[in-house]
Amino acid sequence: MSSTDNKESVLPARRRARAGEGIGVLLLRRLRDGIITLLLVVAVIFVLAHVVGDPALVFSPVDASDEEVERIARAFGLDRPFWERFGSYFADIFTGDFGESWWQNRPALAAVAEALPNTIYLTLAGIAGAALTGIVGGVFAGSRPGSLFDRGSNFFSISALSVPNFWLGLLFIVIFSVQLGWFPTSGMFGVSSIVLPALTIAVVHGGRVFQLVRSATVEEMSKPYVRVARSKGFPHRMVLWRHVLRNTGLTTATIAGWEYVRLWGGAVFAIEWVFAWPGIGTLTINAAERQDFFVLQAAVIIAGVFVIVSNLVVDLLYRVIDNRIKSS
Amino acid sequence: MPYRVVASERRVGSPPIRRRLQGLLEKRGWWLFALFLSLMAAWAIFPGVFAPYDANYLNPRNRLISPGGASPEGSHIAGTDGLGVDLFSQMVEGARLTLMIAVVATLLGAAIGVTVGMLAGYFGGVVDRMLMRLGEAQTAMPMFLVAILLLSLLGPSVTILIIVLPTLVWPIFARVVRAETLQIKQATYIEAAVATGCPTSVVLYRHVLPNVVPRILVLFVVEIGHVMLAEAGLSFLGVGVQPPDITWGLLIAEGRPLLTVAWWLTILPGVLLSVTVLSLNILSRRFEQYAGAAA
Repeated sequence: MSSTDNKESVLPARRRARAGEGIGVLLLRRLRDGIITLLLVVAVIFVLAHVVGDPALVFSPVDASDEEVERIARAFGLDRPFWERFGSYFADIFTGDFGESWWQNRPALAAVAEALPNTIYLTLAGIAGAALTGIVGGVFAGSRPGSLFDRGSNFFSISALSVPNFWLGLLFIVIFSVQLGWFPTSGMFGVSSIVLPALTIAVVHGGRVFQLVRSATVEEMSKPYVRVARSKGFPHRMVLWRHVLRNTGLTTATIAGWEYVRLWGGAVFAIEWVFAWPGIGTLTINAAERQDFFVLQAAVIIAGVFVIVSNLVVDLLYRVIDNRIKSS
Repeated sequence: MPYRVVASERRVGSPPIRRRLQGLLEKRGWWLFALFLSLMAAWAIFPGVFAPYDANYLNPRNRLISPGGASPEGSHIAGTDGLGVDLFSQMVEGARLTLMIAVVATLLGAAIGVTVGMLAGYFGGVVDRMLMRLGEAQTAMPMFLVAILLLSLLGPSVTILIIVLPTLVWPIFARVVRAETLQIKQATYIEAAVATGCPTSVVLYRHVLPNVVPRILVLFVVEIGHVMLAEAGLSFLGVGVQPPDITWGLLIAEGRPLLTVAWWLTILPGVLLSVTVLSLNILSRRFEQYAGAAA
């Protein structure tokens, strides 16, 4: 998406800082936006559960009897008026009461809290791989546009973006686990089990990082100072490492951070499911199969909070580094 | 890189055939992808012509034949599944729903996004801020998880899928169209249209919309691919298309339990899906160059 929709700048519009704005103001604005988003999502979930569906059925196990459903309806006070239910629902969510999971017989929040660190671990490992391959490849390709390496790696990265991420995981299982027997097919036991899921993330997201870093490098290479340095007789490699990389470094760092947030938008959850990685994705899909509404809801909201916070951190880091560069 | 051009031109005197083929492939290679997409469209429209067997016909005696193998009933290029159904026929059959869902959902998303983007860009102010914040807000949410929750609450079905998928793509259309509209708004012909008393709806429909179409088309082609991947993901996770309907994503999911004994059941439908999305990506780049040259 990002590779085609803004030609003028590699970074999405919202990442470009507004002029003359302090970090405090930015932080507050982002925080407000985040809270509004979260409220919207919670409201949509409420409306779906209470207005579109029958809440008593939504809240109860799939195989519950009629009496049980009625008992649940009473226990949740579903006979109360709509606005009262709406209010108490919000109060519950914001005091951290996400309901009991009937599947796991414990608070839904506990199940999510257990899965969250595993997902964070996997996403960090994956994004490290993606950043490494994407940045190194992107700089080399972008520094010599039109070269064999550029054309080859460009095609490879478009292919990486076209492949379904979960299918790539399955392909790696067939090759590296079934045929070669190098890594376990699934689960989380020791370091070897993170290799394949992290590799899958690295390939898919590395493709996008590559594209963005490449176009940033191409743009930078076409600037007059590069031509000046070249005409003075500096070797290509020196211009690249000493001049160009220093100027694209900030953009590159932001691309990696932005990609991390993006990873939480989807890919990681299906990949977790493929490798039976005990994170948020696997939990959510198991809960969806069992129609365990409270775990589903808790997973979406907690993941949402995490994404909003990491968005904030990326923005903040960008501003801090940017300011340091400007003042030095 | 001027130096490189000179270096390659020096060889023009006697161009080796390999090099000429390579150049031809790079300049005209997109034809292959266009051809592939047409083939997929043909599969979707006339599955009966291409499928050698009935995709619902099962014969347990023919189960798990590997690709290229044959049963007493004939050959199976892509092998058979655990129930003895021909995989190639299933893939042909799956093209219809896979393409249909992706195209319809992307059309819906584009319609919403273009409307929102044009209104936001043309009117600006509060409308702009509210509409665009909604889109921004959404990109800051784990939308895939939200989609799983929605689908499991509403009950997975093709209709619900076509309603949920556009929510993933409309913000991109809105952002691009808004940016284009902001530029077009400055043009003299818009000013002229407004001055001659054109109602706003006519200005938007007759003067702004035709000018954003090239960009929308480029984006549309890419986004069909993205929606296709999202549908495959949701179907793979069991909250999308349900059997007996067939899509490529669902075929991958159904092959997964047999991954260690019959790799082709998961790998081949995925190859088909990947090449389709790749073709869309490459064609959209081609369109982009073309639209850029025309503008």
